[in-house]
Amino acid sequence: MNTEELRAKLLPMLLSGARRDSGDELLKLGSDREHSLLRALSLTGQSLRFTRPAVPSEFAVERWPRDERRMVPDRLRRPMLRLLDRSTDDTARALALGFDKLRLRPHPFDLPMLDGFVQRYADRLGATAQFWVLRQVPAQRLHGYFEADELTPENWTESSLRPRVKFLKELRKRDGAAARKLLEQCWAGENPDNRVQLLSTIQTGLSAEDRAFLESIQKDRAPRVRAIVHRLLTALSGEAGENAALTACMNRIQRTKTELLKKRTALKLELAANVKEHEANRWIQEQFADVNLEQLAHACELSDREVIDAAEKDDNLLFALALMASREKSLDLLDVITDELPDAWGRMSELSSEDNLEKDREEIEAWAGALIKPRKWLPVVPFPAWSWLHRQIEGPLSAGIMRDVMASKAWEEQLDPEKKGGSEFVQVMCALCPQELRGMVRAQLERLEADRKDKGWMLLDILDELENLR
Amino acid sequence: MAGISLEKIEALAPDQPSLVAARKLVKPNGWSGLSSDNAGLIWGECQGSGSSPYRVIVSEADAGYKCTCPSRKFPCKHSLALMWMRAEGKVTFEAAATPEWVQDWLRRRRTSSGAPAESEKDNAPRTKSLARAVLAKPDEVDPKGEERAAAARERARREREAAIVAGLDDLDTWLVDQAEAGLAGFAAHAGKSCRSIAQRLVDAKAPGLASRVDALPNRIYGLPESARPMAAVEQLGQLHLIAEAYRRQDSLALDLRADVRREVGWTQSREALLSEEGTVTVGGSWRVAGTLSEVQPDKLRRLETWLWREEPGEGPRIAALVDFVPVAAGQTKGTYRTGEQIDGTLVFYPSSRPVRALIKEVTSPAQERDSELALGDHNLPRAYSEYEEALATIPWLNVWPLSFADTRLRRNGERLFLCPADSDELALPLISSQSEAASPLLAMEKFSGFALWDGYACRLCLAQTPLGRWVSE
Repeated sequence: MNTEELRAKLLPMLLSGARRDSGDELLKLGSDREHSLLRALSLTGQSLRFTRPAVPSEFAVERWPRDERRMVPDRLRRPMLRLLDRSTDDTARALALGFDKLRLRPHPFDLPMLDGFVQRYADRLGATAQFWVLRQVPAQRLHGYFEADELTPENWTESSLRPRVKFLKELRKRDGAAARKLLEQCWAGENPDNRVQLLSTIQTGLSAEDRAFLESIQKDRAPRVRAIVHRLLTALSGEAGENAALTACMNRIQRTKTELLKKRTALKLELAANVKEHEANRWIQEQFADVNLEQLAHACELSDREVIDAAEKDDNLLFALALMASREKSLDLLDVITDELPDAWGRMSELSSEDNLEKDREEIEAWAGALIKPRKWLPVVPFPAWSWLHRQIEGPLSAGIMRDVMASKAWEEQLDPEKKGGSEFVQVMCALCPQELRGMVRAQLERLEADRKDKGWMLLDILDELENLR
Repeated sequence: MAGISLEKIEALAPDQPSLVAARKLVKPNGWSGLSSDNAGLIWGECQGSGSSPYRVIVSEADAGYKCTCPSRKFPCKHSLALMWMRAEGKVTFEAAATPEWVQDWLRRRRTSSGAPAESEKDNAPRTKSLARAVLAKPDEVDPKGEERAAAARERARREREAAIVAGLDDLDTWLVDQAEAGLAGFAAHAGKSCRSIAQRLVDAKAPGLASRVDALPNRIYGLPESARPMAAVEQLGQLHLIAEAYRRQDSLALDLRADVRREVGWTQSREALLSEEGTVTVGGSWRVAGTLSEVQPDKLRRLETWLWREEPGEGPRIAALVDFVPVAAGQTKGTYRTGEQIDGTLVFYPSSRPVRALIKEVTSPAQERDSELALGDHNLPRAYSEYEEALATIPWLNVWPLSFADTRLRRNGERLFLCPADSDELALPLISSQSEAASPLLAMEKFSGFALWDGYACRLCLAQTPLGRWVSE
């Protein structure tokens, strides 16, 4: 019996059960039925083992992108995997930002092991990483994977949000009308998050030519979009006009006169009776979302500086002013407010990042400088606030602020070797540390137990190595 | 120091917290008696939380270790710290004679990586080493006692032979029952059915065959549903082949006879293999082409290290070192890393296709090498033909190593296939658990590599690409 006969005659019998078979074919292999059956089993099985695996009729065409970024050197691959194993998101973000700044990309073979990191920060890690993230996405939903500097008016909608906002903002600086036109064209197809971020670019070079577009979208379904539109239109008109939100705010602000000799105006924000203490920050944010500082000052019949002075004894109102100043990029006013309310950013960190409009590097540094007052923190700002700060500024603090941070009580307490706890705080501080102060931070961390400083230290080492690549 | 580098320590560490914990111990003031025999063995005592210090030993040649602490991590932080101090070279290890507790560990140590042989080797530096100290005390021989022991061994052997044959008869009966019932539905009840006959084979003192039967359900379940009935025919057919070959072993060639006896469960001790005449012994530079760590149904972890001899010449070029450790011991990986080079002599277990081996002598311990492995220029079809030849020689062959050049990875649906770079002649599916990790290789036009083929799917161990080395973790 040859191979074909074994498969044609015996295999069906073995599969369906020899019990149902007369056994004529089996008896060709021997006189005894049991032995013949065993022989049939081994011969058929062995003939199957020599069958080569079937070659699929077609294979997928792989279209891995060309990635101009430089690959991370081999010697840093393993340390990087170790660093990202159970690190905090701050460490991962700092590394991703470092990759982006230095135009580096992870080694493709590490992508499966770095999947969580790559999924989260693909737009910082180059075209290959973006391809990796998008490879499972159905073709009809697939956008491209372009670097921001490769974007053009033809392909910009295919990239991820961050490069698109950056592209639009750059275009807005060069040619405001062209940028607005691109935004108008894509507007209907964008989701609310995208609309908020893309619309924020209009603030750059805002002019009367933008009015028609802004008016066309002022009934947008997303409240956040409507709030931005309202703000921008108000800025264009240069007057307060009818603002229901302002009226509501003014109804909650009590105005009194203080001091016997020199009468001073004092303002106090009355929270709604049903607002609990832990809900106050959110309530204030919502209450003042559609109000700007100028309108408020006008309604109070004071200058904006006088409003701040008048609110100095009311932390809630100061916080509302801080939110408005931050949103409007009135950094000199923000600086004055945080002198009175040094933990303003701690309170901001408890809010969502809805107002986190796109800022360029200079603006971010100035904003952080106005907001962060390390020497005055009382009480100590908790870890989540630092993490929030890193998310906001997406990079290190300026050296000046970091020096103040390192001299602060908050940092001093963290450096107590007896202090128990995890490494989260050290990690976020290392993520926030500018290049020139890494040595100093390392020296300060020296006294900590290895498990508290290990990740932070490793991050600094890797960032140093990446920056020194030739 | 040769043998243990910081990278290797990192690779050996079971997790990141272990490394962090070890780092705290990398300072001599927590240690006493840090010593070395200058022949690849270091030891010391570390004061832990207990009243008496933990005794830690490390063999530099193969990164073997032992610590008396109760940690369930392997290596523990003490072993890692001792290696770390040695690798950094900042701490002095005094030259000393091996104390009794170190000697005791060496005496009891038996691995395929040949640590004892390393200490026993004739050309070792002329220092006091533990193994030599042990050898220096010859056991007193009692001729009558020896005779009685030999007779008892022979009696036990005969009883075992008889038990195995009886067990094989039961296996045949079971196979007939399965074939009578039909193998299309075998997978549905394979677990329970295989367990019972595997137990019978354990009772019949055929543990090798019992393990094979025990592993069969998982093997079948790992295949696509459509392939399971055919796989059942193949796998059960092999069981009968083994049984039949065992019964007729006297008519088989010596090597094939050794194969079938090993398959059934007869083992050969390291000492017996080393003292056996006519064994295949091959020296040279061996590179680690792949490693595998797998838990068996018998709760043992099988640690395989696949070696590739770089220089062509007489004898096998591929060797597999196999160690078993209890799963409860916590060790999850072997001591070698893919790419490392070991210079030494291997002795192969007798086989018609010798692959499994022991290290007989190490002339240079494992060293990390960045250079590519010279895997030869066989393409994938040629490598597969070698598998078919091996299968024709050993019909119950389980896993076969494939080394190949000019190969690429291609995708069909969810599955990845190893294919020749320039033809559609062959497509070997990759095991599904590697689909994610291996997918970056889809971007490579071609690569050379090393894989283990089990008749159904490939486990890719190594791919050498223009972007560097891809290694299965």
